[in-house]
Amino acid sequence: MRSQSVYKVPQGKLLKISVEYNEKNNVIKNIWITGDFFAYPEEAIELMEKKLRNTVIEQGQLLEQIRSVITEYHIQFIGVDAEGLTKGILMCKL
Amino acid sequence: MKEQWRLLQTGFSTAFSNMAIDRAILVANSQGKVPPTVRFYGWNPPAISIGYFQSVAEEIDVKACKKLGVDYVRRITGGGAVFHDKEVTYSIVIPEAHPAIPKNILKSYGRICNALLHGLKQLGIQGTYAPINDILVDGKKISGNAQTRKVNTVLQHGTILLDVDVETMFSLLKVSNEKIKDKLISDIKQRVTSIEHIVGKKIHFEEVEVALKFGFEEEFDVKLIQGILTKEEKTLAAQFEKKCFSTTQWNHRR
Repeated sequence: MRSQSVYKVPQGKLLKISVEYNEKNNVIKNIWITGDFFAYPEEAIELMEKKLRNTVIEQGQLLEQIRSVITEYHIQFIGVDAEGLTKGILMCKL
Repeated sequence: MKEQWRLLQTGFSTAFSNMAIDRAILVANSQGKVPPTVRFYGWNPPAISIGYFQSVAEEIDVKACKKLGVDYVRRITGGGAVFHDKEVTYSIVIPEAHPAIPKNILKSYGRICNALLHGLKQLGIQGTYAPINDILVDGKKISGNAQTRKVNTVLQHGTILLDVDVETMFSLLKVSNEKIKDKLISDIKQRVTSIEHIVGKKIHFEEVEVALKFGFEEEFDVKLIQGILTKEEKTLAAQFEKKCFSTTQWNHRR
């Protein structure tokens, strides 16, 4: 199953997320995070997408995984944050 | 004596060449081969640039671009889609460790945007910096900016609108909800302004360049010395243009 969301982060930018996931267990197969936000370094977004594969679309697990990737790879987001990314992904499932 | 930075006035180029030149300056500066550099440029033909994280398919009506002879290119900086037509574009490239540049990314946006505000003031325009990356005049956007930091070097580029054609812009950009397109166009018209709209007369590209040169000199207390791209930068830019910015692989990567 593939679905998309468009989410305006409060005080931030417009996030457009597309997720391909297994409907039976809600596990992410592929994810594309696009939008007019900023991330430093930019290439970290591809890494984030890769690291979110096999994560269950569930608030706690998403938030934990996103935060751990941000910390591990020293990613700085501007206009979006871990909570915003999580919400954008969760919205794909609604 | 004031610190001297390089000023480049490279005139009008294609989208691919423009983005390649900014990247070439970034590489040359990161290797200590050129001083901090401020560049002013324009776009011919007009073009859309999209932010690094944006999707071409989601943002651009590629068929409409082809029909109107408008190019499109993916930037190495984040941020949103921009229709580059009647505007002056600037870029600044400077080491991350330079004392003029705050370590904090948001603060550095503010500092560089201050240079633009000084420049606008020269034209009799009072603007304000609106974080994250905009400059507003009377609450309306006149300038958008985007920054990247690579190999310990800052590149920020942005636009100052000379004039704006919202209808053409929206014929080239995709709108997520077609039903509200008309409303969106009227909303954007209320939220965007331009130098010519504010001063009520035609202002030449060169006048804005002069004003912005003053703005950068004022904000950073430096002297901008007219220069040219080095041979190495030109070679590098040609490579970036050919192997990156003009390729489908780069532009359609997201």
